[in-house]
Order: sequence, then C-alpha cells, then structure tokens
Amino acid sequence: MPDQTTKEPNWKQDFPIERTESTKVSRRDFARFLCLVSGGLAVGSGYVAVKANFFPDEPVKGEHFVCKADSVPTGGTRSFVIDGSTIPYILIRLENGNWRAYEQKCTHLSCAVYYKPGSGQIVCPCHEGFFDAMTGDVLAGPPPRPLPALEVVLKGNDVYVKAASHNTTSI
Amino acid sequence: MSNFKDAQNKAHPNKTNTLMSALIVILILNVGIQIWLLYTGLNNALGENKDIALPAFIASLVLFLIGFFWLYFLPMGYRKK
Repeated sequence: MPDQTTKEPNWKQDFPIERTESTKVSRRDFARFLCLVSGGLAVGSGYVAVKANFFPDEPVKGEHFVCKADSVPTGGTRSFVIDGSTIPYILIRLENGNWRAYEQKCTHLSCAVYYKPGSGQIVCPCHEGFFDAMTGDVLAGPPPRPLPALEVVLKGNDVYVKAASHNTTSI
Repeated sequence: MSNFKDAQNKAHPNKTNTLMSALIVILILNVGIQIWLLYTGLNNALGENKDIALPAFIASLVLFLIGFFWLYFLPMGYRKK
C-alpha cells in the first residue's frame, strides 16, 4: 500500500487548507450567517423586553444632599453622585435663578455632557448634541431622548435632589 | 419518490442563482427590520415607555423563525459523492 504523504511536499502537511478554501464565503454560508444574526437580534430584543418589564431601574429614593447653595455660582455647575449609585449627575444653577439636576450621560452614546454658561443649553461634545437646560429636552443633534432629570429641593442654603415627579414644578 | 428538494436540486443553475439571491435579499430585509425593532424597543424602554419592548420582541422572534425556516429552501448545490 503506497504511502500517500510521501508524494506530497512537506509544507502541505503544515498548511493543509487551500487559500481559496479559507477565504471564500459561499452564499449558503452567508445565508446561514444572516439567520444567526437574525437570532442574535431576536435574543437582544428579548433581553430588552425582559429587562424593561421585570427588572426596571429603581428610581432614586428619598432626598440626597448635594452641596451648599452658595458654593455654586450663577451659571455654574457641580457634578455629583448619589450614594449607592454610580450614575453621574450634574447640578446646574441657571442664570435665571432656577436649579436643575440631570444625568450627566448623553442619551445618545453616554458621553459626559456639560452646561454651556449663558446659553441655557447643555452640550454633548462627542456628536454635537444640545439639550434645553430648563427642561432637558433635545434641541439638536443625535440624542434620541431628553436627559433624565432629578428634582432639586432647596432647604435654606442646602441643595437636595430627589426623584423627579412628572407633574410638579421644581424650583 | 421525488420531492420538492430533489426537484430543486436538479434545477438549472440559473434558477438556483435566482432563488439564492431572493433568499438572501429576504433575509437581509428581515435583519434590517429586526435592527429597527431592537432600536425602537430599546429606545422606548430607556425612555420609560416599556410597552413597546414586548411587541417588538415578538415581532423580532417571528421574523427570526421565518428566516430560520426560510433556510429550508436553500438550494443544496452539487454535492460531491
């Protein structure tokens, strides 16, 4: 019985797969891959549905002290984090005397937003997203949703935040 | 006894090509709709409008199942025996 391997050069044993075989994607494989992607997207949608319906994010409970009111100048801001959470927030003292607190994550791709003093706008520098500093609504750019807001409560010289209620006006 | 697959596999290559292209186009269309469903469901869920997520998932699952059983119609090609 002849030994087949002796007829082939040695390098073929090290590289048994032809280049065309390794780089060519057949249409059958492409269709199967599309089906796999389709399954992945269905699983992703399922995850979103389960997360939204059964494991929603907990709202902020109670009032949390942020800082003294006189430590933030008019048109100034202060970043803060609520105890037990890692979400960064931004406290803004607007030029018209109002206080606002928003999540400091752009609703587009979670870049850190900042308040542009004097403009009444919160800006995301990554992709030029603009939010209204009074309401958190999107003014321009790619962000799909308004900035999530907290309600600011002033107690004397102390600034507190609590979960925003939808039908009350904050100070 | 000959069945649908046998007949399909003996078809002219032109027919097979057309069939394959049509299948892939439909699959790409399904994936495109699923991407849109995922984007919409996620966006609404994050915006505290969670009612969209479940219908979006069901629609996405149906599209996946359609795509999965769609693969039955893939021509086998000329198999080496």
